[in-house]
Amino acid sequence: LLGAGGGNDIQWCFSQVKGAVDDDVAEDKLLSELQYRKLKTGMRTAAKSGLSLSENKTQSHSRGEYNVYSTFQSHEPEFDYLKSLEIEEKINKIRWLPQKNAAQFLLSTNDKTIKLWKISERDKRPEGYNLKEEDGRYRDPTTVTTLRVPVFRPMDLMVEASPRRIFANAHTYHINSISINSDYETYLSADDLRINLWHLEITDRSFNIVDIKPANMEELTEVITAAEFHPNSCNTFVYSSSKGTIRLCDMRASALCDRHSKLFEEPEDPSNRSFFSEIISSISDVKFSHSGRYMMTRDYLSVKIWDLNMENRPVETYQVHEYLRSKLCSLYENDCIFDKFECCWNGSDIVMTGSYNNFFRMFDRNTKRDITLEASRENNKPRTVLKPRKVCASGKRKKDEISVDSLDFNKKILHTAWHPKENIIAVATTNNLYIFQDKMN
Amino acid sequence: MLGKGGKRKFDEHEDGLEGKVVSPTDGPSKVSYTLQRQTIFNISLMKLYNHRPLTEPSLQKTVLINNMLRRIQEELKQEGSLRPVFVTAAQPADPLGDSFREAQPAFSHLAAQPLLPAELVSTTPLEACLTPASLLEDDAFCTSQTVQHDGPTKLPPPALQPVKDSFSSALDEIEELCPAPTSAEAVAAAADAAADDAKDHPSESGVQRPEGVPESRAAEPKLMDSLPGNFEITTSTGFLTDLTLDDILFADIDTSMYDFDPCTSATGAASKMAPVSADELLKTLAPYSSQPVTPNQPFKMDLTELDHIMEVLVGS
Repeated sequence: LLGAGGGNDIQWCFSQVKGAVDDDVAEDKLLSELQYRKLKTGMRTAAKSGLSLSENKTQSHSRGEYNVYSTFQSHEPEFDYLKSLEIEEKINKIRWLPQKNAAQFLLSTNDKTIKLWKISERDKRPEGYNLKEEDGRYRDPTTVTTLRVPVFRPMDLMVEASPRRIFANAHTYHINSISINSDYETYLSADDLRINLWHLEITDRSFNIVDIKPANMEELTEVITAAEFHPNSCNTFVYSSSKGTIRLCDMRASALCDRHSKLFEEPEDPSNRSFFSEIISSISDVKFSHSGRYMMTRDYLSVKIWDLNMENRPVETYQVHEYLRSKLCSLYENDCIFDKFECCWNGSDIVMTGSYNNFFRMFDRNTKRDITLEASRENNKPRTVLKPRKVCASGKRKKDEISVDSLDFNKKILHTAWHPKENIIAVATTNNLYIFQDKMN
Repeated sequence: MLGKGGKRKFDEHEDGLEGKVVSPTDGPSKVSYTLQRQTIFNISLMKLYNHRPLTEPSLQKTVLINNMLRRIQEELKQEGSLRPVFVTAAQPADPLGDSFREAQPAFSHLAAQPLLPAELVSTTPLEACLTPASLLEDDAFCTSQTVQHDGPTKLPPPALQPVKDSFSSALDEIEELCPAPTSAEAVAAAADAAADDAKDHPSESGVQRPEGVPESRAAEPKLMDSLPGNFEITTSTGFLTDLTLDDILFADIDTSMYDFDPCTSATGAASKMAPVSADELLKTLAPYSSQPVTPNQPFKMDLTELDHIMEVLVGS
């Protein structure tokens, strides 16, 4: 499916880019989350200070053109007076809810508070009231001589985003994940040490289902890094840790799921052991495949596919940027080693994740081929086919290859998303959003 | 700063560890291994202690850095198991519950556990020459910490004893008109000397010159000191609290010379700090002169000495 060859291979070409042109990153524009809407052809990105939705305006499938549909401020910066610290408004995660009626609902979260937003469109408005003027002023009833029936008339599309629920004060530590259950009634939120279960309708109560906080905080050596509900089993969820383990829990087993049902962990490779082994094993993202049979984890250097039936090792491992293994000390010094890359599925066949220098990678599980592409404004023309990129790890650098030392570690792609139905992908650089699509489209 | 000094010291000392070191690599790459380990150790310390965010630091990052430090510490412990292990202060148990810890100002990176009077009592031999902890705690220590962290904070380090030693001996350094400690070496020397010597000379009035103690030898026991402190909210680890506190303390004084600007809160506070800490210095130095001193009594110190101290602090 991947590759520059002919046949059924996808040829990715540039579609659109949104965001600032210059490289100077305005703090509030940093893209912090990216998600495709599951059922409808929409997409939302969260910038640090707000939340922006893009809607696919063209109904035909010829071109997936996305335009800004709505932008609103999801969270505000707050100040924790007790600790004298700021709570950033930066959005960590967004999740769409399945659509039940004309309106869309999504959950967005910053470090401490989760909000449920209702996004509704209004493209009609009633006109012709008897007792009110068009501008809203009340008419003098004595001037009414005839009666008419108000009618709906079209108006310019207005998108309204209103907060419907605010789920606050349930997390002492920073929220890193939210995941909506397949029952569409409950969802979980995970911070560094605890996972809470909420009901979408109830904001003043949540149930703690995982708590790994030790009695003595000095003994703390492991934190929760991500959590997700199983796409089909509403009682099953997984959470990953900073030590590279994934625990699968069944909520039917007990109220507090401190004991996992399954523990997924790959034994350390002794030949690759280094000071940084633990840090690079920390899992930054975990995603179930759409079928729920597999799950994918992203650690610093690789993407691993796990079969839920096999706990002792992943079934596949893909190296994202192995050439960084010799640079770990520098990456530790400049904190890049703590970057949290996400990953995403296309169904169950292709996985995608980001890297540095605005590169992103795709791995085809079936053909075992992989490709590296770059999100840059140089490929600006629509329908320009993206050229595969290659990083030269060592030795002679071939033409068009990039040497490891010339990689820009400030240009990192942490968030990528694949359209649920089409071969359209969205890739977020620090302050730009790129959309690429299959040339066939 | 800390890194360079550390590296040099460690290298010099490495020769003495031939044959005793258990390291994954052997031969000439053993040195590079220990060199890298020391570098990583220093980087980790810098990350924990030099970071002053406006928002809470990431707990995951803190935990990972702490684990790194612990691992290196364990390795060093095993390597140094044939050498005399320094007596460490007992790990103070956290007496308070979550609510208190969560309410603590989060920028108290260095230590978040409240001081237990019991801990002081346990280190009797050293108390004789040291300032009562309460004085140190409430006055000079807290004040200087306050300056750096933009707010009032109670900052007893988990390992109290080394802190008092290093602080008092660092003060002694100023008193002795040593060159202003601008490098980690001097700081480490102060800390190590205090830790080493205070134990040997409990009766001295505290006027100690940092000996030519092999700093790496003393640094090793320091590394074996108490485990990381409170994770709650902040990064406090208790690793080398004395060293890093001094490091920050003097670092602050150093930069005040260049950044003197009454408008900025940090340096503004720093400039305010000078007279305050000088007062506290005098108070804390009083016991060393073995004379009963009240704030009203004129100090016996030479005025020129006082001026020198002021100069060092203010940097003018």
